[in-house]
Amino acid sequence: MDLVYTSEQQDFRAEVRAWMDAHVPKEPLDTLECRVGFDEHVVWERTLASGNWGMVTWPEAYGGRGLDLIQWLIFEEEYFRAGGPNRANQNGIFLLGPTIMEFGTPEQKARFLTPMAKGETMWAQAWSEPGAGSDMAAISSKAVRANDSGGDHYVISGQKTWSSRAAFADWGFGIFRTEDGSKRHKGLSFILFDLNSPGITRRPIRQLHGDTGFAELFFDEVRVPVENRIAGEGEGWKVAMATAGFERGLMLRSPGRFQATAKRLVELYREHEAEASPAAREAVMTAWMQAQAYAYNTYAVAAKIMAGGSIGAEASLNKIFWSELDRAMHRTAMQLLGAAAELRRFDDGRMNQWLEGYIFSLSGPIYAGSNEIQRNITAERLLDLPRVGAG
Amino acid sequence: MEFLLNEDRLALAETVRDYLAGTHGPDVLRRLDAGDNRDPAIWQGLVNMGLTGLLVPEEFGGLGLGFVDAALIARECGRACLAEPLVDTAFVAVPWLLSQGDTAQMAAIVSGTAKPSVAHRINPWVSDGDGAALDSIDPLRNLTRPVGTSSSDPLLLDLGALMSAAQLVGLAEAMLDQSAAYAKIRTQFGQPIGAFQAVKHQLATAAVAIEFAKPVVWRAAQALSDGLVSAPVHISHAKVAASDAAIQMAETAIQVHGAMGYTYEVDLHFWMKRSWALSGAWGSRAFHLKRIDDAVIGGGLEIGPDQTFA
Repeated sequence: MDLVYTSEQQDFRAEVRAWMDAHVPKEPLDTLECRVGFDEHVVWERTLASGNWGMVTWPEAYGGRGLDLIQWLIFEEEYFRAGGPNRANQNGIFLLGPTIMEFGTPEQKARFLTPMAKGETMWAQAWSEPGAGSDMAAISSKAVRANDSGGDHYVISGQKTWSSRAAFADWGFGIFRTEDGSKRHKGLSFILFDLNSPGITRRPIRQLHGDTGFAELFFDEVRVPVENRIAGEGEGWKVAMATAGFERGLMLRSPGRFQATAKRLVELYREHEAEASPAAREAVMTAWMQAQAYAYNTYAVAAKIMAGGSIGAEASLNKIFWSELDRAMHRTAMQLLGAAAELRRFDDGRMNQWLEGYIFSLSGPIYAGSNEIQRNITAERLLDLPRVGAG
Repeated sequence: MEFLLNEDRLALAETVRDYLAGTHGPDVLRRLDAGDNRDPAIWQGLVNMGLTGLLVPEEFGGLGLGFVDAALIARECGRACLAEPLVDTAFVAVPWLLSQGDTAQMAAIVSGTAKPSVAHRINPWVSDGDGAALDSIDPLRNLTRPVGTSSSDPLLLDLGALMSAAQLVGLAEAMLDQSAAYAKIRTQFGQPIGAFQAVKHQLATAAVAIEFAKPVVWRAAQALSDGLVSAPVHISHAKVAASDAAIQMAETAIQVHGAMGYTYEVDLHFWMKRSWALSGAWGSRAFHLKRIDDAVIGGGLEIGPDQTFA
């Protein structure tokens, strides 16, 4: 147990801070969930890449910095301290990138990781289908193998939905049924596809606030080369589970994000202190306490992984904790704001980030495996309670 | 920077866990509760393991270990619902007496003949004291009104709060295990009640609270070891997080046990009663929230993403 940063770690923090202070946009970008805002975020991804800060945990060979997990945490802390924008390339950095590193061929690594690291290609994920949400093994979209004059390829037909970033991204990844008549977890393959391929129709889903962050994807005999399949045919479930593990695990939500929110909440409370009740005060303190607890836990998990351990079903505890913390913090802010809570822009023109954040926080307990699923996983795998309903 | 409980520490804690699991089970708690709450043989067993001297410097015959080690052993005392006042004596009174330069009783503490507990203005009762007995809901506490004067030294309160938090973590973990075990054997509607999501989700929610209380306690113990000025805030955080997790767990546990949980026959009540007692001991929830309030909202502590270990 050593809770003091080394001088190298302190120097690294100073280096990140200096770069972020010089480069983070002074004005918040428009929301990622509209064309203009998405493009602004892509520009930011390229700015990050220009300083080699895009994919800091990736090995240097793939365009990263090869940072260890403690350096990653320091990077994230400084990123959120500086008010860095949300990452348009979140899916690529934390989900697909690690998946390709683990399961991809050398050719796939060169073809996909390098442009991802440079901020040239933005990725959407395509897991869910209309009939396969929490029960992802129920997917039915097909990829039929065909070999003709156009080469060895798959022909994809079907529909994906709740595909995040798909309204504006360049490429997508998901699992498809490659074995005719197969059931549940068997006969699935993990396939990457160009979102501009002939036969793909994107229909942006209008969200409750009117913006379009995700989309439905319709596949009408879309040809995808076999070289776009990650790992073996029929191994899609295994690959997808590993990817979902990355998502629920350490890196999806770094603590810096929540600590920054907690700090802003304390500042908001101070502005409203004169009229706020003690109940609000306790909610604000709880925000700080839980954001800190999440940070300690993340440092502990990072140390465990660096010592050769791994993160298993504990990832479900993490996902429940941060998603419900995020919602509670934003709810508290909305309560403090009172009449101003409903304004998308305050009367001085500033974006009401609390409202945007509150709406976004409502998705946290739903996406990346709903918290009901996470509680089942916790009960069944950590507490060894009987499994029910799982195929 | 390495937030890791190393293997030597965990090995010692596991030894204590195994020893208490083998010698201090619910049958022993029942025997003590039916008698006069104490058994010299149990104390001697703890002395033989060196636990009374855990924080006593080697020059006085102790092991000379630190607060993180003590917190890990205190957690095991909670897990076993240990009746003896090991934590009050060896992990609270000893370091406080040392901080006062008072080493007179150290050798006697190590050998088990002295069992001092020190009262604080905010925590006025002590276990196994000389004064009149108090009627606690947890009789195994052997709570007494002290005869001598009590201290108002903040360090004493911090030690008591930190070690209570560590015990509360162990108490909560034990109640989680008991409840999960019960949910697997109790059947209704033709299946174990633990197969119902309504039961699973309550237990999972309590498990989340415990999981995220633990690192707060270890961090607080390390902050005290490192002599951070902010240590009292982190100890208050640990006490609130561990108390909240234990109380939530206790309420979930009795719900999962159903009417059986309301009986003396099922073991759960020993752990629940200790949780109620320690949640209020060494500073109430309100007291510790006030200290956090002064630091976080009052501005005494730097906060934000770059201040994780401030």
